Amino acid sequence: MRNVLAIARRELRSSFASPVAYVAVGLFALVFGYFFYATLVFFAERSLQATQFGMGGPMNVNQMMIRPLMLNVSVIVLFFLPMLTMRAFAEEKRSGTFELLLTRPLTDWQIVTGKFLGAMAMYSLMLLVSLVSILLLFLLGNPEWRQVATSYLGLLLMGGCFVALGLFFSSLTRSQLVAGVLTFSALLLLWVINWTADSAGPVMRAVVQALSITDHFDDFSRGVVDTRHLVYYLSFIGFGLFLTARAIDSERWKG
Amino acid sequence: MIDVQHLTKRYGRVTAVDDVSFRVEKGEILGFLGPNGAGKTTTMRVLTGYMPPTEGRALVAGHDILEAPLEAKRRTGYLPETPPLYPEMTVRDYLMFVATINGLASAERRRRVETAMERTRVADMASRHCGKLSKGYRQRVGLAQAILHNPDVLILDEPTAGLDPKQIHETRDLIKSLGGDHTVILSTHILPEVAQTCSRVVIINKGRVVAIDTPENLTARLRGAETMFVQVDSAGADATPVIAAVPGVTGVTIAARRDEQASYEVASERGHDIRRQLAAAIVTQGWGLLELRPLRMSLEEIFLQLTTEENAGGAEVPRA
Ligand SMILES: Nc1ncnc2c1ncn2[C@@H]1O[C@H](COP(=O)(O)OP(=O)(O)OP(=O)(O)O)[C@@H](O)[C@H]1O
Ligand SMILES: [Mg+2]
Repeated sequence: MRNVLAIARRELRSSFASPVAYVAVGLFALVFGYFFYATLVFFAERSLQATQFGMGGPMNVNQMMIRPLMLNVSVIVLFFLPMLTMRAFAEEKRSGTFELLLTRPLTDWQIVTGKFLGAMAMYSLMLLVSLVSILLLFLLGNPEWRQVATSYLGLLLMGGCFVALGLFFSSLTRSQLVAGVLTFSALLLLWVINWTADSAGPVMRAVVQALSITDHFDDFSRGVVDTRHLVYYLSFIGFGLFLTARAIDSERWKG
Repeated sequence: MIDVQHLTKRYGRVTAVDDVSFRVEKGEILGFLGPNGAGKTTTMRVLTGYMPPTEGRALVAGHDILEAPLEAKRRTGYLPETPPLYPEMTVRDYLMFVATINGLASAERRRRVETAMERTRVADMASRHCGKLSKGYRQRVGLAQAILHNPDVLILDEPTAGLDPKQIHETRDLIKSLGGDHTVILSTHILPEVAQTCSRVVIINKGRVVAIDTPENLTARLRGAETMFVQVDSAGADATPVIAAVPGVTGVTIAARRDEQASYEVASERGHDIRRQLAAAIVTQGWGLLELRPLRMSLEEIFLQLTTEENAGGAEVPRA
């Protein structure tokens, strides 16, 4: 455990030493802020119209504001996470520090979980920044804190899947760029794949829905924690990390 | 301490290390010598558990590197060919990190880091970022990282590469002081380094061991005959017949001739010291004896001879 934490801490600190972290967090805050503002304006207009035309009082901030915002955020996250994971192994391999990690008394599993926790810490920071805007909502209206909490839990888990996938791709190459592009393409594919779900047959549809990471987020954004989704996310993360550990080991044998 | 048995490592179809066996006893400093691409780095990478061997096995500090990798790695310090530094970390933070993943208790870490920095003389750079260090300092921080946890076995891949002459000297002294309680394997291209620091040498070429011996024995074994260098002022006369008449001399060649003086290379039977008779023979002719010294084959020549030999395979040392 000490080894895992040491690697995670080092990972986090080196993220902050590189401009990538600041760019990622800063841009994310900016994009999130924009979406927040846009959703807020949209919600305010609809709300105003509703009261003007007497369509039954002010609208529900949870359904009309938080949920669409969170669904948007889940997509924004997809665009940003490759930036946080692309360095992880690719850079260590390029600079030769990977040789240090692999010749110290560490298990592959410790290295992989250390990297995972490091990237997750960085991601949590990104989410924390966005949480500031959400707190504004609590000042202005009375959103349900439960729904906010489950949404963020969902974002954390979904991001965990993205991170696991990103680590896997980073472990395959010495180039950050290649790792980043591969991760981004894979995530994009897993996102757009559920667009085809509606037109597909029942079997295809089930497969597609199982693959689509973002699809499982929907319930979280509505304030529901369904164990099915929880298990899905946790096993996705576990499997991703397992594959990463295998990739490191097989690289060893190839030399 | 280190036992390498029939180690073979192939990268795809390239055989980088081919059936290498050797042992290193506790406290020994073993030099690994060979031209570029000989397989030195590859052997070291197998010994440190960075990559598994294709065939054969290796025991480091009593533990099989494949079966008990963590145990073996805990007792090994390794300086790879390129020092594995994180550019964005300060030297001290970096060493603290390595100390942690080496399993040192937190109470001990700081002290060990300071000691290692003292020994490798990087203390003045403690708060400098690793990425901003000069090549020589990087090498030294790499060395500090390797000795940090006081390992039984040290594996150093070209530890003096990129150092200035003063630093080379200090690093050699450090390595020599480490031998004794530590077992050291180091690789190098610098031959005098081997003669000065190592108790035994492995010469490796194209992945195969060409010779294993002490530097002294290696020099001696390679000379089938003793050769003397003699410079004589014989007023223009040819001294060859006089020298050839000395008992024990088996051959004389003129190495150079200038004005009244000439120099000769005199071969003699092994273990037969001809210097006294040779000197007497020349002096009784009334000639001036300007120089008389044994010609020793340098390690350099041995190395070239061993590694450029056709069919350099086999551990048998060819006779000169
Ligand atoms: N990762 C690799 N993949 C394929 N071949 C490799 C790899 N690493 C080394 N080799 C090959 O293995 C052989 C031995 O290389 P190695 O690096 O062990 O030599 P070396 O003795 O350390 O040389 P140098 O003195 O240049 O450091 C070379 O022919 C090299 O091309
Ligand atoms: Mg090498």
